[in-house]
Amino acid sequence: MVKNPYQTIPAIIQEIIEESPLIRTLKVKLETPIPFKTGQFIELTIPNVGEGPFTPSSSHYTTDWMEITIMKAGFVTEAVHKTKIGDRIGIRGPYGTCYPIDKWKGKDILIMGGGVGMAPTRSLFLTLLHDIDNYRSVTFLMGAKTPNDMIYKYLIEDWKKIDKVNIVRSVDRVPEGETWSENVCLITKLLDKIDLDPHGVPVVVCGPPVMMKFGTFDLLKHGYSEENIYLSMEKKMYCGIGQCRHCVFGKYYACKDGPVFTYDKVKNEENIWE
Amino acid sequence: MIVNASHLFSFLKRIQSERLGGFDAVILPERTDKGNLFFTRMNGETKVEIDSYRATDPLKSLLYFPREQILPGKSKLVKRLILGVKNCDLTALEILDKAMINEDFIDPVYQFWRENTTIVSADCTEISDSCHCNLVDGKPFADKGFDVNLSNIGTDYVINTGSSKGEEFIELLRKYIPISDDHAEDREKVRELRQKTMRKLEARNSDFVRSGDYFSLKNVNIQKWKDEAKSCVGCGGCTNICPTCYCLILNDETTAKDFIKVRSYDSCQIHGYARVAGGASPRPKMYERFRNRYLCKLTIMKENFGRLGCTGCGRCIDVCPGKIEFREVVCRMMKPPKAEEL
Repeated sequence: MVKNPYQTIPAIIQEIIEESPLIRTLKVKLETPIPFKTGQFIELTIPNVGEGPFTPSSSHYTTDWMEITIMKAGFVTEAVHKTKIGDRIGIRGPYGTCYPIDKWKGKDILIMGGGVGMAPTRSLFLTLLHDIDNYRSVTFLMGAKTPNDMIYKYLIEDWKKIDKVNIVRSVDRVPEGETWSENVCLITKLLDKIDLDPHGVPVVVCGPPVMMKFGTFDLLKHGYSEENIYLSMEKKMYCGIGQCRHCVFGKYYACKDGPVFTYDKVKNEENIWE
Repeated sequence: MIVNASHLFSFLKRIQSERLGGFDAVILPERTDKGNLFFTRMNGETKVEIDSYRATDPLKSLLYFPREQILPGKSKLVKRLILGVKNCDLTALEILDKAMINEDFIDPVYQFWRENTTIVSADCTEISDSCHCNLVDGKPFADKGFDVNLSNIGTDYVINTGSSKGEEFIELLRKYIPISDDHAEDREKVRELRQKTMRKLEARNSDFVRSGDYFSLKNVNIQKWKDEAKSCVGCGGCTNICPTCYCLILNDETTAKDFIKVRSYDSCQIHGYARVAGGASPRPKMYERFRNRYLCKLTIMKENFGRLGCTGCGRCIDVCPGKIEFREVVCRMMKPPKAEEL
């Protein structure tokens, strides 16, 4: 009997963390764990609604449970935001390629996560923390529209205490009634505020398309190199396995050739930012 | 080998009625009252026509159904015999096979139908107005990809086998009807008739000969695509009927007990096709989606599967409510061929 590529593993929601008005984190326990490598994604089924691709936001060393941070943006994610503790959902995967963290040993690493793009980059960040001695430093730039949109606030203080970790956060604006004591600027402007020699530094960028686009251009201006800029392509990865073709751009399938691509590989393809 | 045509057809009726060889269904093109050919399950009344030209519905729709449960996959065995398949549909299987059964995954339902279907192709003896396989490296007859191929030479068929499944079918045939050896003059007749059909195709398509450099399409001025796409209504008929299009959407029909997924055809011509949550879409305009189909068929599939995604069946021309002529559009988009390519 051939393994069905759509085989879905039942998972029970154990905990829900409301991160922001639009973003929540599900902590789920899978009937059978799905081992993954950071950067890979899964397809999450809400029964009778549909499924969507999400990158776990927990470390790939965490196997007993999985955390997935999800923004309300379409009909599947609307349903995600209606789930309750104890609900049964489905997960299949993992799919796609992972970050080549083995090649990053001894290096300074820069991560840029904008909005809900902080979620998949948190998986990478936590995975790097697990072996932090292997790297020279990890800089995590986190950006959100407003202070209320900033996720993982409750983790920051602990992260800041870790040696070799540098966390710099910004919000685009501070609406009346909200408070913020850190940077108020676009996340891309944070590049001016960090002291990093761009030579050979792997940079991971994940966020809304407009941030990825201008973030990449700013990184190039600052001297980071095309082959070291890792972009998470946001395409409609319906099946996750390279069958449905929705995520095809140029000759690539975002789901199986990516979702993480270095900029030099995709820069000549059409519509990469949309 | 040679088989008499009337022997063959009466035997096919027996296969259907007595389930000889374990076949649950015999499917072949039937001429409808309106003059179109459609694949139909054989019965006593069927006006079968396995020669002439390709059926209106592609072979794809019998191996990769428009709507089909994929999780869990199939459990009940259904064995089918499909006759009257044309080379344009067989070459399309080269793409579908690679797309569904590859090192990354196997579509278990496609594989199920593929394994339990015996495909009997037949040489084209006629062409439809939209047939143009000769323009895309194709031929109106098959020399591979079939289990059995039949070449009409009048009252008889010359038989060729292409697989062990084909050999089994011939063994079954031998048990019930006379099969004789073919001779040099039969093979010569096949060659002549094949050339005759090829000449018809070449005459029909002489105005549409173009350079084979399809990658130049990527650089065509966008205004030209806007002009061509004006009469496209974005219905997706062209992609649904295309023998190589297989884009799918998944529907979740999960019950309390089992995860159930159903796949259906999708079309890159439809607005929501590549739209992601939040609303961003790489091809929000009709002309962008129109252009995408041409590029997918003629360049992207070539990069993904090593062969053109167009097999020249011409069904997209027949089905189009906007009367968009694929051959003409490609010609207008491309430079004329160099002298040595003519």
